[in-house]
Order: sequence, then C-alpha cells, then structure tokens
Amino acid sequence: MTKEMLFELPNINHTNRKIIHVDMDAFYASIEMKRHPKLRRRALIIARDPRQTHGKGVVTTANYVARQFGVHSAMPAQKAWELTKDQRPVFLPPDFATYREVSGQVHDIFREVTDVVEPVALDEAYLDVTENKLGFKQAIEAAIYIQSKIYKRLALTCSTGISYNKYIAKLASDYRKPFGRTVVLPEQAESFLMQLKIEKFQGVGRKTLPKMQALQIYTGADLHAQSERFLIDRFGKMGYMLYRRVRGIDNRPVQADRARKSVGKERTYNPPIYDELKIQAQLKYFSGLVATALAHKNLQGKTVVLKMRDKDFNTITKRQTLAEYIYQSADILTAAQELWATYGSLKHGVRLLGITMTSLLSKQYENITLPLIY
Amino acid sequence: MKFSISRSQFIKTLNDVQRAIASKATIPILTGLKIAVSETGVTLTGSDADISIEATITQSDEKAQLLIEEPGNIVLPARFFGEIVKRLPEDQMTLTVGEGFQTTITSGTSSFNLNGLDANGYPHLPEIDAENKLTLPADILKQIISQTVIAVSNQESRPILTGVHILVKDNQLLAVATDSHRLSQRKLEINNGQGLEYDVIIPGKSLTELSKIITDDLEEVDLRITENQVLFTAGPIKFYSRLLEGNYPDTDRLIPHDATTTIEFNTQKLLASVERASLLSHASQNNVVRLVLDPEAKEGTIYSNSPELGNVQESLAFENLTGEKLDISFNPDYMKDALRSFGPTDIKVAFTSALRPFTLVPSEDEENFIQLITPVRTF
Repeated sequence: MTKEMLFELPNINHTNRKIIHVDMDAFYASIEMKRHPKLRRRALIIARDPRQTHGKGVVTTANYVARQFGVHSAMPAQKAWELTKDQRPVFLPPDFATYREVSGQVHDIFREVTDVVEPVALDEAYLDVTENKLGFKQAIEAAIYIQSKIYKRLALTCSTGISYNKYIAKLASDYRKPFGRTVVLPEQAESFLMQLKIEKFQGVGRKTLPKMQALQIYTGADLHAQSERFLIDRFGKMGYMLYRRVRGIDNRPVQADRARKSVGKERTYNPPIYDELKIQAQLKYFSGLVATALAHKNLQGKTVVLKMRDKDFNTITKRQTLAEYIYQSADILTAAQELWATYGSLKHGVRLLGITMTSLLSKQYENITLPLIY
Repeated sequence: MKFSISRSQFIKTLNDVQRAIASKATIPILTGLKIAVSETGVTLTGSDADISIEATITQSDEKAQLLIEEPGNIVLPARFFGEIVKRLPEDQMTLTVGEGFQTTITSGTSSFNLNGLDANGYPHLPEIDAENKLTLPADILKQIISQTVIAVSNQESRPILTGVHILVKDNQLLAVATDSHRLSQRKLEINNGQGLEYDVIIPGKSLTELSKIITDDLEEVDLRITENQVLFTAGPIKFYSRLLEGNYPDTDRLIPHDATTTIEFNTQKLLASVERASLLSHASQNNVVRLVLDPEAKEGTIYSNSPELGNVQESLAFENLTGEKLDISFNPDYMKDALRSFGPTDIKVAFTSALRPFTLVPSEDEENFIQLITPVRTF
C-alpha cells in the first residue's frame, strides 16, 4: 500500500478543442515509390545498402511491403536485409532535401485549413482546427479535406487522429494505418485509452516498459487503476504525466511557429566532386542560400555546421561556434571555409555538402559592435 | 637537501605559488612544485607556461623559523604535497631529499615519503634585467586590474582582446580593455620610471591571478617588461606572465566626447535597479533591458521582459537629467559589471543616440576612468 499524498492535485481537463494529428504513411518510402514507380511492389528500405557499407547503417523507414517482413525504422540495415533478402529488397539512401520539400507542400495544405500547425517531424504534425479558415464545424471534415487534398495533389496518403487533445490525437492516428482516420470524442476517451496496450502510451519506451510489466501494468486500464502517488513514486515526472494522460488529460496547446532550431542547405552530387574550386563555389552558393533563408525568417545564428559525405557514404559534420551572431553570406562563408580547410578532404570525393546555421536568435536584437581597427 | 620551517608560514607562500600550477598540465613536470634551497632561503616556483610565480622565504624572516641544513633542488607533485603539508600535525616541519629524489616530510610523529622529480628537468624562468622598472602603489594596481579585466574578451577567436592593453608614456599609464561590446579605460599619473615607454598587452587571466596575490599589507609592486614577458615583483613574490603578441586596436577614437543626453546616478541604487530588471531579461533569450529617459518630464524608467515569465518596470532615482529624450536598450550584464567597478560613488552617464555607445564616468573624476557600453539595436 502506498502512502497517500498530502493533498490532491486538481485535474482540469480542456475538452472543447478540436485537434488533428496528421501522420504521413511511410513518408520517405512513399516519396521514393512515386519517383520510382517500379519499386511499388518491392520491399523498399530507406537506408544505405548494407552490402555496400559492410553492414553499417540503420533503417530510416521502409514501405509497407518491407514492413510485412518485420522491417521497421531504427533497425540495423543488415537485419532488414536478412529479413527481406528472398524478396530482392531495394535499399535507397535517404534524400532529405526532397523529403523536406514535399513536407513543405503538405504544410501548404495544412495552412489552407489553419495556421495553428505544430510540426513534429517532416512527416508528422498537430493541427488545432477549433477555429479554421474553411469554416468546418466538425474536425472530421477538416481531416477528410486534408487527407483527400494530400492524396489528390501529391499522390501520398496519411493517417489522421482526431480528438480534443494532442496526446489522444496522436494515439488515434496510429490506431488505423495506413490511410486511416480515427475520431476519439471526449466521452469515448477513457474507454479508448483503457484498451490500449501500455507500450502504445507515449513516454513508455524501452526503459519504462519492463518496469511497467514488472508492476503487472499491461494496458491503459491497468495504468488507470494505479494511484497518483504510486506512479509519481515509481516514475517521477513521467508518472505524474501518465496519471493524467490515461484520464484523457493533456492541456498542452498546439504550438504554431515553435522557434526554429536551425536553417540549412545541402546537396548530393552524383558523380562526387573531386575539385577544390567546385567545392569553394558550392560553399559560396550554400552560404548565400542560408543567408537568404535566415533573412527570410529574420534570424541570425552563432554556430555554423558543415556537413560532408564522401563517395563511401562516410558522413562527418563539424561545427564552429562564433563569438558573434552572424547573418551575412560572407560571414557564413568564412566560417564554412575554415571548417572545410580544417576537416574537408577530396581524397574520397564529396558526395554531399551542406551548410547549416544553428544557435539561432531573432534578429530583433543586435548588440552593436565597436568598429575596432587593428 | 634538508631544511625545516614553520608550516603556517610555508603554507602561505605555497598558496601563492600554487595559483600558477594547473592540476592538469600538458607538460607533466608543470604539475609539480619546484623547491630550491640555497644558503640563505627557500624558493618555491610554480608555472603553467602562461604565468609563473616564484616566492622566496628567507632565513632573515623570523616568523618562518627557517633552518637550512643542506641546499639543493627538488620538484614535488604540487597537489599532493600541498594536501600533505596542510594536514601535518605540528607547526614545524622538516623536508629531506635523499637518494633517487626520495623526499621525506616529517612533522611531529608523522612522516611521509614522496617520490620527487629531478629539478634539472624544470623549465628555467626568464632572466629579466632589473634596470628599467616602474613602481606602482599596490592598491592602485589592484584597482586598475579590477576595473579593466571586466571588459576583457573571453573569446579565443580574437586573442588580442583577451588582454589588457598597457601603454606607458609621458609619465602616464593607460590601461584599456575591450571585448568589442564594451570598453574600460583607466589612466594613472606616474612619478617614477622617467622616460620609460611601454606598449604591451597582458593576458586578462594573468592579471586576475596577479590581483589575488597582492595583499593589503603590500605597499608597492614593481613592473619590468621585456620583449615577450612581464615581471611583477610584489614583496617576496615574483610574478611572470607572457605577453600577447599583435597590435591592439586603436581605442582612443572610440570614446565619444559629445553627448546629447546626460544623467547622474548613485551607482549602488542604479546597480540594484539593473539587477532587478535583469531578473527577467536573463529568463529571456535576448537578455536586454530598455532605458527611457525623458528630461522634460524628469523621468527615467527601466523596463525588461521575458515572454514566458512577465515584465518589470521601475522609475529610477537620478540627478541632473539634461538633454534630449532617449530610448535605448542594452545588455544589463555589461551595465552591472561597469557599475560594480566604480564602487560606491556617483557617476555621470552620457548618451549620444540609441544606437551609439554610451559612457559612464565618476562624477568626481571624469578624466581618469571611463566605461563604455554599446547598446542593443532592436528592430
């Protein structure tokens, strides 16, 4: 028997919002299948081919054919190959520049409905459609609109979860996949959560799951039966959170325009570059693009990151943090050139090059610098 | 080598010398303390290749009760040796070096054996010729250091700005430091070292360490400079530092001489207000406070806000606000450092515009000490 708490924490539940979680179905793999229609029926795995990397590398994602054989993201590419080798699997290295571009097109569709969009990853976002631009009364209408627009315009499918908070919306989008749509109304929330397996709960990961199982907690209902004190004692902050989540409480707002963490540009070269002059030209080109992107978002940055990949897919990223915030193309170029001079090499060619700016700060503020002349 | 000495006096000297010894040094022998015993005294040396500190305890110092039996040299692991000496039971201790640099430290009934190193492997400190020297009052030197090192840059990307620029010319010493967002400049008339001219950059870190060994009982510090070294002699302690190479930027022309808005504050009151405002600015990504001065309405107000936490507004206490209305933003940490360097006095602050650096000088002495701070431009 656990001690009770000195007081009871009030549970306030906001159930009047309309929130959609959109999860693109096998996003990267679907983009690749669109590009290479012949691959549709094949097991397609987005990862560097383990036969060329001596078994290194992990799976970024896989299409549904490959998933039937047990392939999933974060799995070693070598294992994915073993699972699918009889199917003549196709391995493709991820091309994030393209995925990012398509993600932007998906977001354009979101913004036809609402500006309250919180991106989680390139293939995942929360939308608050309580108020929306198209005057939908029901969130499900908005979800149908988004799913069909994405399908018609981009020939891609997504699954949506519709509920009154982010936590349940995300669980719901995962409930029926691919091209699924699941609505969880406030009055259905508890029964929906109760029947879920404990590992479905966000926050119950590889570390927490065995602890839960050891405590005979296998489902939402088992979790629901625990006292708040019990969960806090065993799982700390996570316990506090899970106690509320399993009661359908999650009052976190959908955060539109969360502060950007980085701005970057990169490109893959086929064939790889072996020419120093060409590298210099590319660095200059990227610096200009990054400076433009920073300007577009009214940002300045303090850290310049140079990403380099050789023909054998060895990728290195090196960063330099400066004393001052910079935003001009010439300053970004100087830092990138220094990184290239220190860490770059043409020996095995350059298959990918990219410049990213991080440690960003809104340019609303700029500490004036004394004009020091040496 | 063998001597005995009063432990309390020895520890005092050891503490000073240990300031120069880094616990992790790239050059192994520099983690050691060198002990050199001559017929007349014991000299301790510590160094981290940037600074070296050497201190001598002489036989004539009665409190030290130094008894030298046999001269010699040894290098001992500084940290362990220090820990041992500090914990020995009696006030008197004896140190004996035997075969193979085996060193015995005894005090009362306690006896430690420590593996020493050959002192011949210890670097030689530079010989600095004693001809030219400048003598400075110890308390003034300490003050100059504390007033300037605050503006030294801690960014290694521009090494020259990590030092304090010292200019000696025409019986005047000028000390300047800037990190390019603020500047501190101190002047001092000097009445010795006729005809001496120096133009050197001393690392800010060295000066901070030097400042710690200048005790209140010390009256004067001598300064000697060679091409790439500076030696401060403070009583029995010799403090060596490397100099920074390169040209220091011309800072003279950065200091504005005109003002469009001026105001006077009591430093302590203003410091308290800025500290309150910075409670919120620190919680925000930008760390900016805003100051609005309105001479016509006789109002001075400081503002700050954090989007997450909230905001603050405070009417300032001031004297003699004249000139044009001004609305300026700045980093409160620069202001706090500057205000602390004045001590409890009244200061005059002069502004030219919201985007130009502003200056702070003591109301009583506008000539010899000036702090300059650049504002933050807000869009």
